[in-house]
Amino acid sequence: MAIEPAPALEVTRLAFRYPDGGFELRLPSLRLARGEELLLVGRSGCGKSTLLQLIAGLADPTSGTVSVAGQDIHALRGAARDRFRGRSIGMVFQTFNLLQGFSALENIMVAMLMSDLPKADWRPRAQALLASLGIERIDAPAENLSVGQQQRVAVARALACRPALVLADEPTASLDPDNAVNAVRILREACRAQGAALLVVSHDPSLEALFPRRERLDALVAAEGARA
Amino acid sequence: MSDLTIVLRSLSVRRFSTGLVVLLVALSAGLLLAILSLRSAGERAFERGTGNAHLLVSKDGSPLASVLNGLFYANPPKAPIAYAQLAQLRGSFPWAMFVPTAIGDSYRGFPVVATTGEFFTAFQPVLGEPWVFAEGRAFERNFEVVLGASVARETGLRMGAQLVMTHGSGKSREGGDEHAHVHEEYSFTVVGILAPTGSPHDRALFSDLESSWMLHAHDRFEREGTHKTVTPSDLVEGDRVVTGVLLRLPSRDPLSAPPALVSQYDRMRRDGSITVAIPSNEVQRLFAIVKSIDVLFVAMAAATLVSSACAILLSMINSMSERRRQVAILRVLGASPARIFWLVLTESTVIGLAGAALGVAVCAVVLFAATQWLLSAHGIMIAPQLDARSAVLVAMGTTLLAGIAGIVPSALAYRTPVSRNLRPIG
Repeated sequence: MAIEPAPALEVTRLAFRYPDGGFELRLPSLRLARGEELLLVGRSGCGKSTLLQLIAGLADPTSGTVSVAGQDIHALRGAARDRFRGRSIGMVFQTFNLLQGFSALENIMVAMLMSDLPKADWRPRAQALLASLGIERIDAPAENLSVGQQQRVAVARALACRPALVLADEPTASLDPDNAVNAVRILREACRAQGAALLVVSHDPSLEALFPRRERLDALVAAEGARA
Repeated sequence: MSDLTIVLRSLSVRRFSTGLVVLLVALSAGLLLAILSLRSAGERAFERGTGNAHLLVSKDGSPLASVLNGLFYANPPKAPIAYAQLAQLRGSFPWAMFVPTAIGDSYRGFPVVATTGEFFTAFQPVLGEPWVFAEGRAFERNFEVVLGASVARETGLRMGAQLVMTHGSGKSREGGDEHAHVHEEYSFTVVGILAPTGSPHDRALFSDLESSWMLHAHDRFEREGTHKTVTPSDLVEGDRVVTGVLLRLPSRDPLSAPPALVSQYDRMRRDGSITVAIPSNEVQRLFAIVKSIDVLFVAMAAATLVSSACAILLSMINSMSERRRQVAILRVLGASPARIFWLVLTESTVIGLAGAALGVAVCAVVLFAATQWLLSAHGIMIAPQLDARSAVLVAMGTTLLAGIAGIVPSALAYRTPVSRNLRPIG
């Protein structure tokens, strides 16, 4: 009997109290299988970004666990957690957050530099990723690319280290509806091609039709009755 | 792709401010290095000028003035040494070298040194480096003159050229010396041109003592109302004066001072009518006098270097707002806070290193220019080379200072909160 691989993401009884004490995020459970896609919708300020930071290990929960590919990320400390995040989690942001002054290719390779990926693989993999996403001007500074191209470079960077999980934080917020649909399609296809699970958080309900699985964060946290 | 690539890209994003700071560091480091190099090179150049004379006798007011006037031709010595005293001095010790000199005439502002043939055979302008004639020979007859290398270059005089001396001071007639007058009656013929020595002697002309005495005798006759062409037979003892004597004691090692030098020096100093100087000691004394000013210059240059380190600090702190986003992105990509710290620290160190490297280049240019100027204006030749030890120390110091200046921005980057600097994200 084959051993089932650990899920891409498993959140268990997660709680986080903001430093000002005025709001506490509670999430009883959230599970994302390998290669699964999930859209998490919630209004602005409901804690979507905080949840992503907790999953990425950029913030520590008050209690509960977050496991990515079977690893409790908060059990790791310091540089070990940073290395794990770089290797196992890819992130896409609303404003793409590409490194200024770096070419499209270099933006991908920086992510690889921070991971354990063998150095010989960096350039070929980065070139292949960019080619698969239709980026031809790979040596152009990222800031000189069009918005659509920048977004695809951001997607390529998130997938650079073959992560188990890609977190996308409002990836369509700065796009018009047509481009938003296209951007989500590119993101889903790229993650699917790389075998990465995808968790998208957004306040835009129009994206719901694009995802087979979607949840409302408000409903998830309400189930625990933890909203302040 | 490496951490250094990240550092260089980060610097290139702010290329204007980075360039300015690197330039500032380079100027500071170059200035400090130039001062240190010129200091040691200048000292060496002055030491070269003292030649192989163990002692210099004159009637100047002090040993230092004696050396500055008698070997560096700063001013013509005022008081002459009488012939009788010269003869007495010659017989007082078995000198290995006894070269009398009379300085006071000039040609187009260049001092004329009247001396004996021994000046070219026994006296060395630089210790261990005898005279070399680029052209011609030493004077052998009256009214022959030998040109120092700089004199030949600057006046354009060639072998066989005729010239007349200005009597009075070392200043030219154009310089306004009211006592100067030209001995039109006696023209000198250029019979030799010396190769450069890198010493003040390059800016002098050399003729025989007897000719100089005849010029003075001519003046004496004119004062007496007699107008005649003077010959050696017209000279009286009062005409036969010199302004200095270059002395050398017998020595087994031509490059070091003999043990008898100090006792001989002390013996001669007892004679209050003359001033005795050990040229190399006087040069050291001169450097000791200017040392405090010298230290001040070095301190000012070092302060400039520290201020450039402050500029690095300010520049990096000013760039923190844009740097925070970069730091947050790198953290998301897997960089640890410690790695971020070292990346920023490397950035400031690279600025220091680039500044130091550029500073060494700036220094080389400054030294070359200074060398050319000193050589043409004062006959002091300094090889256009950096003092290697100083260069290494300044480069290391600059880089270290830059690294120290980077500690605060590095610590700020280390503490940069990630989530706040990736907004808008939700």
